Amino acid sequence: MSAADTAEYRIAHLRDRLASEDIAELGIRIEQRGTSVMLYGTVASDDCRAEILRIAREELAGLPLREDLVVVCADAPDHPEELS
Amino acid sequence: MIRVAAVGDIHLGPGSAGTLRPAFESLHEQADLLLLAGDLTRHGTAEEGEVVAGEVAGLGIPVVAVLGNHDYQSDQEAEVAAALDRVGVTVLEGEGTVLNIRGARVGVAGTKGFGGGFAGRSGGEFGEPEMKDFIRYTRRCADGLRKSLTMLAEADCAVRIALTHYAPVPDTLAGEPLEIYPFLGSYLLAEAVDEGGADLAVHGHAHMGTEHGMTSEGVRVRNVAQPVIGRAFAVYHLPVHAGGAAAGGGGVKAGADAVGAH
Repeated sequence: MSAADTAEYRIAHLRDRLASEDIAELGIRIEQRGTSVMLYGTVASDDCRAEILRIAREELAGLPLREDLVVVCADAPDHPEELS
Repeated sequence: MIRVAAVGDIHLGPGSAGTLRPAFESLHEQADLLLLAGDLTRHGTAEEGEVVAGEVAGLGIPVVAVLGNHDYQSDQEAEVAAALDRVGVTVLEGEGTVLNIRGARVGVAGTKGFGGGFAGRSGGEFGEPEMKDFIRYTRRCADGLRKSLTMLAEADCAVRIALTHYAPVPDTLAGEPLEIYPFLGSYLLAEAVDEGGADLAVHGHAHMGTEHGMTSEGVRVRNVAQPVIGRAFAVYHLPVHAGGAAAGGGGVKAGADAVGAH
């Protein structure tokens, strides 16, 4: 089987690693898009983002990787929601 | 009017101490209480619990929390809860607490909750013992929530809020893959909210979900997972029902008037 053929298993293994290793990240999406793999979602910090990408590159070596991981905003809100 | 601040899924650890504190410093100017909707830590260690406690200590308003699945990861959930308790945070699991906010009795009923899925597409108590245990655990969480909300009504609360980590409705999961909905929440929680009665239901857990939802009986549901609200916290203004205000004024420390529901 080629790397692309086994991509779905490798993505599943990546999910397992992200959940079980120190990063403990379960909140991002990892999807096969054509021949590449897309990671996206919101993470807690720049360090988390870097660690997720490091593990992903290791686990998915040989597969083109695209990512759109953003770091969560920790600013106070500028307005409340009025609930009647 | 009661001003409710809420956030979940802040996933703090030793490296992230101080991340939310700047926003929290002025929280007392924007809100009367802060709700924490679970997944306060990354791995649920006692050390991470101390980081969370430092982040929410001395805010000048009551803080009420439930734990989330991440807070159970290291089997140290009791230590995480104890760290929060030491700085005055009321941690709820199958119980409620009554706060006296400017003369109004505000009740918060809390449980972590669990999964199982939503009406018509949910797991049931059938087959292997593991499957039965899964659903029975969710049912116990929901029963605790229902009883707590009922007791808050009997305690003459003018405003009642249901606080969970797992989602009571699928509305606020929109954006998550449909296949994982049974791991994100359960209709049993919504049924408990509707039967017990509440003015607002707040949850976290679903990072890719959306903020707004509603139960079948019209209770507003808000997913306050930090990645969803995109801020350090969200603020909701809730009206106080006429006739529900209690005599007396001044804030009562969170947890001073706790009611159990076991």
